[in-house]
Amino acid sequence: MFDKIRLIDLMGLWVQISPGSDEPVYVQVAEQISEAIARGELSSGDKLPPVRKLAAELVINPNTVARAYSRLEQAGLVVTKTGSGTYVSDPKLRKADAADFNILTERMDTLITRGLNLGLEQQDLIEMFKTRVEKFTKK
Amino acid sequence: MTETVLESQSLTKYFGKTVAVDHLNLEIPRGCICGFVGRNGAGKTTAIKLMLGLLKPTIGSSKLLGCDSMALTPVIRQRIGYVTEGHRLFRWMSIGRLEKFQRAFFQKQWDERLFADMLEYFGLSKKQKIKHLSNGQRAQVSLALALAPNPELLIMDDPTLGLDAAIRRQFLAGMIELIMREGRTALFSSHILGDVERVSDRIVVIDKGRLRANCTLEQFRNSVKKVKVAFADRAPTEFEIEGLLNCRRSEKELELVLIGTDSNRINEWAKTVGAEKYQIVQMNLEDQFIEYTAPASKGKLFRWEEI
Repeated sequence: MFDKIRLIDLMGLWVQISPGSDEPVYVQVAEQISEAIARGELSSGDKLPPVRKLAAELVINPNTVARAYSRLEQAGLVVTKTGSGTYVSDPKLRKADAADFNILTERMDTLITRGLNLGLEQQDLIEMFKTRVEKFTKK
Repeated sequence: MTETVLESQSLTKYFGKTVAVDHLNLEIPRGCICGFVGRNGAGKTTAIKLMLGLLKPTIGSSKLLGCDSMALTPVIRQRIGYVTEGHRLFRWMSIGRLEKFQRAFFQKQWDERLFADMLEYFGLSKKQKIKHLSNGQRAQVSLALALAPNPELLIMDDPTLGLDAAIRRQFLAGMIELIMREGRTALFSSHILGDVERVSDRIVVIDKGRLRANCTLEQFRNSVKKVKVAFADRAPTEFEIEGLLNCRRSEKELELVLIGTDSNRINEWAKTVGAEKYQIVQMNLEDQFIEYTAPASKGKLFRWEEI
């Protein structure tokens, strides 16, 4: 009876803007979309809403949305087809390079340091990490 | 398209011996939403009135849409929308009467449908008299009147002052709606930095009548930085670093506010002064604005009795 509601069509509802935040608005938008991609809520080939539509829905500047999309494009998460729109890219075509691995390692180190200093055991940390990863990958 | 829609050269206004606007050199490109910010009394309203030709500059000049502000023709004025501080409207008129009055200045370009749709959305009727409206409703009428002629350049002087969050959001949405149309530009002054951050892609900061910044919002966000520096023993009393705006010092720590200093430079500097460690602290726009426009104060505003 109803078409399946797709998250991609409701982006104006689930992307939250907090203007008082330390993060610029375009980073906030890009981060939330990339999290949805990581969780598999948006998948390869999904078309992102047109810049102007999302800008009107979120009541933010269209240039800010365009900036967020270009950030996602730089990260290889979306591709823009001229005259057609912006699409979530195929994960098989994304490749992590040495710099990406460095960034990941660095961030993990920060978290591990924090955890160990809080008195957590090695096993606790591994368990926590596993649970968090599953939260993203389980549908 | 990098055409300039608003520009001023050495625009200056004295009231008696007091300078309200001091040699303002401004250029606003077409197609942006520009947040015009400054503390109370910084000269925002005076600058806007000068640019609209409502005040005569002491020296200097300004141009809107390529036409000198002191010689704006009716044809140019039709392309400019202006919302005054406090939304002053003729109190004895009904909304319908006010629409007729206003549209006479704009003729064909008046979007009757948009005006009617906006009134309906706001739950207002054309029969209502301005004097019987609340502040919020008056602001809504003023927004509809500003957008109906589809102005090429919309200038709003603190349009959301004293309005609730929902009506403020309607003003922001109105500006977004306007600039999505080809070649439209909006400039609005505000004290609500969250609103400015939400919709602006450009920011102009004035302080004591002087221009302090005129750049993209992203440039501003990137250039004002706070750095916390820790030293093993005493923090140095004398040092130099480019872009230093404010500095707070405690025994072993320095807190610097820097403008436009890039991270590599900060890193080099930290080594040369022998800092133990340092951290670049992310700031939100409001903190950046306060650091940027508030003079480094010597004391605290409030003194607390030690218990």
